[in-house]
Amino acid sequence: MKKIYIALLLVITAASCSRLDEQPEAVITSDNFYKNEAEATAAVTAAYRKLYETGQSLYNSLFQIGVEMATDDYEAGPRARNAHVRAISGLTHDASNDRMEQLWKQSYDAINVSNIAIDQIALIRKGSINETIRTRLINEAKFLRALHYFNLVRWFGAVPLVLHAPASLSPDALYVEKAPEQAVYLQIIQDLQDAEHLPAPAEYGPADIGRATAGSAKSLLAKVYLTKKDWQLAADKSKEIIDLHWYELFENFADVFNVAKKNGKEHIFSAQFQGNAAYQGNSLASRSAPNEVPGINGDYADAIHKQGGLYESFGEGDARKAVTFVTQMTSPTDGKLYTFEPHLNKYYDPAVVGSQGESSKNLPIIRYAEVLLIYAEALNEVNHGPSAAAYDAIDAVRQRSNVPRLQDVAPGLSADNFRDSVFQERRKELVYEYQRWFDLVRRGPDYYVKVLKAAGKTLAAPRHIHFPTPQRELNLNPKLKQDPLWVNY
Amino acid sequence: MRQILRDKHLLKTGFFLLFIFPVVLLAQTPGTPLINSHLTGVVVDAKTHEPLPGAVINIKGTTHGVSADAAGRFTFVTGQKFPYILIVSYVGYRRLEITANGEHIEIPLEPAQSQLNDVVVVGYGTQKKSDLTGAIAAVSGPLLKQPLSSVDQALKGAVAGVQVTQTSGQPGGGVSIRVRGGSSIQGGNEPLYVIDGFPIYNSPAGPGILTGTPVNPLASINPSDIESVDILKDASATAIYGSRGANGVVIITTRKGKADRNSITYEGSYGVQSLRKKIDVLNAHDFAILRNDAFYDTDPSKGKYQYLSQADIDKLGAGTDWQDAAFRTAPQQNHQLSVSGGTAKTRYFISGNYFDQTGILKNTDFSRIGLRANIDAQPYDKLKIGANLTVSKSDANVAPSGIITSLLQMPPTATIYDASGNYTLRNPFENIFANPIATLQEQINKSTANRLLGTAFAEYNLVEGLNLKVLLGTDVSNNTEKNYIPASIYEGLLTKGNAAKGTYNSYSWLNENTISYSRVFHRHSLDVLAGFTQQEFKSDVTRAGAQRFVTDELTYNNLQGGSTLVRPYSDATAWVLHSYLSRVNYNYNSRYYFTASIRADGSSRFGKGNKWGYFPSAAASWRVSNESFFAPLLKKISDLKLRASFGTTGNLEIGEYQSLATLYTLGYLFGKEVATGFAPSRLANDHLGWEKTFQYNGGIDIGFLDNRLLLTLDAYYKKTTNLLLNVEIPWTSGQASSLQNFGSVQNKGIEISVSSKNFVGAFTWGTDLNVSLNRNRVLTIGNGAKSYISGNYIIRVGEPLGSFYGTVTDGILQTGEEGKKGKLTGNAVPKPGDRLYKDINGDGTFTTAADRTIIGNAQPDFIFGLTNNFSWKGFNLSLLLQGSYGNQILNSNRQSLELFNGQQGAAASALDRWTPTNPSQAIPRAKLDPAPVFSDRFIEDGSFLRVKSITLGYTLPKRITGKISAVNVFATAQNLFTWTKYTGFDPEVTSGNNVSPGTDLGIYPVARTISGGARITF
Repeated sequence: MKKIYIALLLVITAASCSRLDEQPEAVITSDNFYKNEAEATAAVTAAYRKLYETGQSLYNSLFQIGVEMATDDYEAGPRARNAHVRAISGLTHDASNDRMEQLWKQSYDAINVSNIAIDQIALIRKGSINETIRTRLINEAKFLRALHYFNLVRWFGAVPLVLHAPASLSPDALYVEKAPEQAVYLQIIQDLQDAEHLPAPAEYGPADIGRATAGSAKSLLAKVYLTKKDWQLAADKSKEIIDLHWYELFENFADVFNVAKKNGKEHIFSAQFQGNAAYQGNSLASRSAPNEVPGINGDYADAIHKQGGLYESFGEGDARKAVTFVTQMTSPTDGKLYTFEPHLNKYYDPAVVGSQGESSKNLPIIRYAEVLLIYAEALNEVNHGPSAAAYDAIDAVRQRSNVPRLQDVAPGLSADNFRDSVFQERRKELVYEYQRWFDLVRRGPDYYVKVLKAAGKTLAAPRHIHFPTPQRELNLNPKLKQDPLWVNY
Repeated sequence: MRQILRDKHLLKTGFFLLFIFPVVLLAQTPGTPLINSHLTGVVVDAKTHEPLPGAVINIKGTTHGVSADAAGRFTFVTGQKFPYILIVSYVGYRRLEITANGEHIEIPLEPAQSQLNDVVVVGYGTQKKSDLTGAIAAVSGPLLKQPLSSVDQALKGAVAGVQVTQTSGQPGGGVSIRVRGGSSIQGGNEPLYVIDGFPIYNSPAGPGILTGTPVNPLASINPSDIESVDILKDASATAIYGSRGANGVVIITTRKGKADRNSITYEGSYGVQSLRKKIDVLNAHDFAILRNDAFYDTDPSKGKYQYLSQADIDKLGAGTDWQDAAFRTAPQQNHQLSVSGGTAKTRYFISGNYFDQTGILKNTDFSRIGLRANIDAQPYDKLKIGANLTVSKSDANVAPSGIITSLLQMPPTATIYDASGNYTLRNPFENIFANPIATLQEQINKSTANRLLGTAFAEYNLVEGLNLKVLLGTDVSNNTEKNYIPASIYEGLLTKGNAAKGTYNSYSWLNENTISYSRVFHRHSLDVLAGFTQQEFKSDVTRAGAQRFVTDELTYNNLQGGSTLVRPYSDATAWVLHSYLSRVNYNYNSRYYFTASIRADGSSRFGKGNKWGYFPSAAASWRVSNESFFAPLLKKISDLKLRASFGTTGNLEIGEYQSLATLYTLGYLFGKEVATGFAPSRLANDHLGWEKTFQYNGGIDIGFLDNRLLLTLDAYYKKTTNLLLNVEIPWTSGQASSLQNFGSVQNKGIEISVSSKNFVGAFTWGTDLNVSLNRNRVLTIGNGAKSYISGNYIIRVGEPLGSFYGTVTDGILQTGEEGKKGKLTGNAVPKPGDRLYKDINGDGTFTTAADRTIIGNAQPDFIFGLTNNFSWKGFNLSLLLQGSYGNQILNSNRQSLELFNGQQGAAASALDRWTPTNPSQAIPRAKLDPAPVFSDRFIEDGSFLRVKSITLGYTLPKRITGKISAVNVFATAQNLFTWTKYTGFDPEVTSGNNVSPGTDLGIYPVARTISGGARITF
């Protein structure tokens, strides 16, 4: 009996053999991470993925849905039923528009991931990471952070400039006020100047294709200068890229969107897509594909705004026309040929007929043709008129697509006319590459309003050169103020 | 405590106590003594001769009374002269009148046939119902005998304060239970189940392969093994479960053997289930006209017969009835063989059970085979040991998700098979979804669960009254889910066959060490309990899959045969709970009862700085009827007890690792390979803590006519603070929300239970009625926010949870009204026949987003259950009526059936739709591309009254059964009749969480079941 008594007591007094600290076995916490090179690399990989995370995210169609719809070239297609998308397309959007909110949300999410990478990789113990890799990874994250801030400042104007992950949930840590546009640009330029130290494209091995390079940083920097109207800097920087001879135009425009030529000589920085590999396909392919052709299963949510005259602006000989648009398709199910109004076609992947959600076409974020156009435009502004070099730059782009050289058809253009020619060239070269809205607002409210009204979007107003600060953010962050132009909308 | 004191409701309780004590004191004031007689005696149980401490002895015709001490003894020193008549009463015993003539007398009291004598299982112990201070209800025996797949289904209508919603009619499907209303917005709201001492939070968990409604984990526990179910409702009862008590506790005790009553019992039943009602949809002929109308509406230039010509339509007839094709009458059977008995020192109960329920939807079923062994023994005088162990295996074929929706929306002009006899692929029209019959018949969607649940204890009696108990328990379960989508059906077209298989293993162990002391001295009775417990839970998930199979033959059994492999997945979680608990029960003379308890819980789930929570409670009750001054009233009121309690409980159902800054994986493509990245999923919150519920309860128990009529009234107020909410934070933080303790919700309500023995004797008739009212209100939701919208629902301060938020319809736009009312259609180009909506914000234009308001609520005004049991000469009849009043249901099925777009099936109400010749004011016209607008049209009255269960049994007379000790045959029906205005399948079956309850969208309908069976005891 005594023995039983003792045994019982033993069980009771036995110290608890379980612990109250959570020690997850299947998830990593940030305290246990960012300790070595592999983890540093994973942190930056995540930052890349934040270019797009799902089927409707920044560089995977959100730019189209939340931004490009508000231009003269695009509108919400018949299958874009969502009221928020239609509002942006018709310029009736307000501060509660959910697609526009996503621009803000996803950009800051991406910035946060870059911020963590930049701060945490710097803290990794010496010896746990190759110093060259450390610098490279930090600079890649800086490139990505600059890219997102560049988008934000163009969309929203002054925005909160967050450079570190919040330290806690306290109001001090969570409520950040807007920084002036100038301060945001300063940070963008600083980050890109750091990123200019990234490896040249050829220095990366095949397993690192798709990473930001020195060329990516320089090209984006040229574009930042151009946007800021720092013409000389833009001209110099774009010239620097041209002279490096890292990049060339494809001989054939179709190769820009040829899956086999992905990350080729013209591609400077692209969002990478791959269908049917338990990975993400390019959503624009199905959003633009026709839904009336049996077996194609297109969504037709991204349509051309007919009154803008985009399709009609292409000459018959323009090689870009057949790549950019499609007007007829053979049904894979009934074998009949269907003809329809022009649909956008750059990302249609013939390898995945019927399931365009699996399109493997990359989305160019910046490519060499644009660098040439930046150079042409900046030079024209610096010299108050087009020089021979400016004509050569734009004509390289035109000639590749069998369009007559501008110096032949319109020599001796005034600065104003040449500027318009470059803009028109950008419009045609970069269709469906998320550039139109930026180009329109870059020229100021009057230009934007004039172009949109001419295209029948009569509700266009000066406030539309920015998006309103999302109402949700104003509600949650007392330090945030609405863009004055948007206060009563 | 400071926090509690701040609350004014404590003051109310304080006043209540202050009110009681003077009365008590008054009652104690003795009369003027004039001694004429001296009497001593003892009151005992007539059967056991155990003394009955606290029995009240009164002299008839006077107010003189005394009560018996701990040994049942009493002394009377009065001015009365012998002989006089004593009236002796004791709770749970028949009142006795006996003549005293001066000699010492032993007064034997007969136990009354009263529920007050029932022993109720409370947390970490048992109590006599009459001694309770808290609000605890027992589920009556007959309800537990229904042939159901899981015990929680038997709680429907069973006790006051417990709302049971069936979330799916899928065999083995789940129910959702709210004890005294839901108090959490985002955390779990289900009660804690304690099965033979083992606490379980019943929430379906699996590897995530299965589509459709998951199988209810409680279905792995055989209901036929269950002896009793007790539900703890107020804080006094639940605080001993601390951080898991806020949603109530359901205590399940399985059957034990009885000494010297060895028996072998077979019990079997066989039943047939059928669909209660079909949804009325258009037939092929009428649908074709609707589709023609929709086309014509969009493009009149192409004529009125763009889909089918009149001649073709005339040939159509009824077309395919998809509901008929999918539903069937389905058998259900249950067999149980049990052996039980024992000696005074060793008792056993061993059973085997087989339950097999075929679903009313084709290719769905649930079956369970289970084994149980419950043994308890007293090997030494001072040592008791026992074990309860059950092992079971359950298999289910589950209806794939979306089946009911597809069945309803499939156009009647579509066919199940094509001309060559193969399944058609999908809805032939613009709204694309698969042929539901092909999905049902060809898709494999299986779940298997093996479960072992057992507890074992040893209890040692140190000295008299002092017991030491150690309990060990474990709950081990392995769930496997398998899914195969063949290439031959629509869903498998792209993947060319999709196979997936996964396992979920969970393991939980429990150790409870308690010490209890129980002593009766003089008129004081004391029970003290203290203990330390620890529980750990671990689970892991593995899943794998493949696509592109050469053949559909091998399904999920040959993943390596697929040419595209799906990325495998694995996960593991764990939680730990450490607790210290203590409770003191004290009563004086069976008149004044006090209970105080406290539990300290340390949970791994909470932030570094907030691991421990403390959950105290206190309760008092006063058995007024045991006061001597009450004696004259005892003839009319045989029992009267007042109860009051308050206390704090918690809720920790938020899942694991919520306070940590965890990372998640996401890949990016570099070159040809996808590299793995890690990004933060949330910000750390070191302060994350419990949801705390303060609850106050006041109750009265009254017995009339020797307790043949018992009435229990309870009123409660429950305030839950520190709600675990995903609080929205600025997106500039990189996150959208963070889980924080914010906001509060209150529930208050009244519960009425009446139990009556209308007839006793040869013919007995008993009635039990329970009615519950609960009023729920959101008090704050944190960060100064006043409301937030979640789909078709709104959470708004001052309103109850489950408020529907939508537009308000206002008739139909008639010809000529376009200019005047066109802006109220929400359409850019209004046309006659468009639905009109109220302009809620008064800006002159209707928009779906801006013109919404609260248009109903899913919470009922009251719910009730009414049980009647009759017996006469071996016949017994039991009838359970159950109902709900004042709740509304979002009939989401109807919303899609009333789009009238001609692209999918339509409700029969389409026959009355607006046309130029039928200017309907209620039903809009057919059109190809209507925007779905959620409006009050789809909010329906969900009130119902239902004959939940009716059972007729007959025990064969001994002369027929001979050596067999008992034979009972019975017939029973579930859901036999229902009265409701609700137009969907069933008003009782809705889904949704606490934010969005009461939605009926594509839910497997509950069946009507009729079965018969027999119970034979040898």
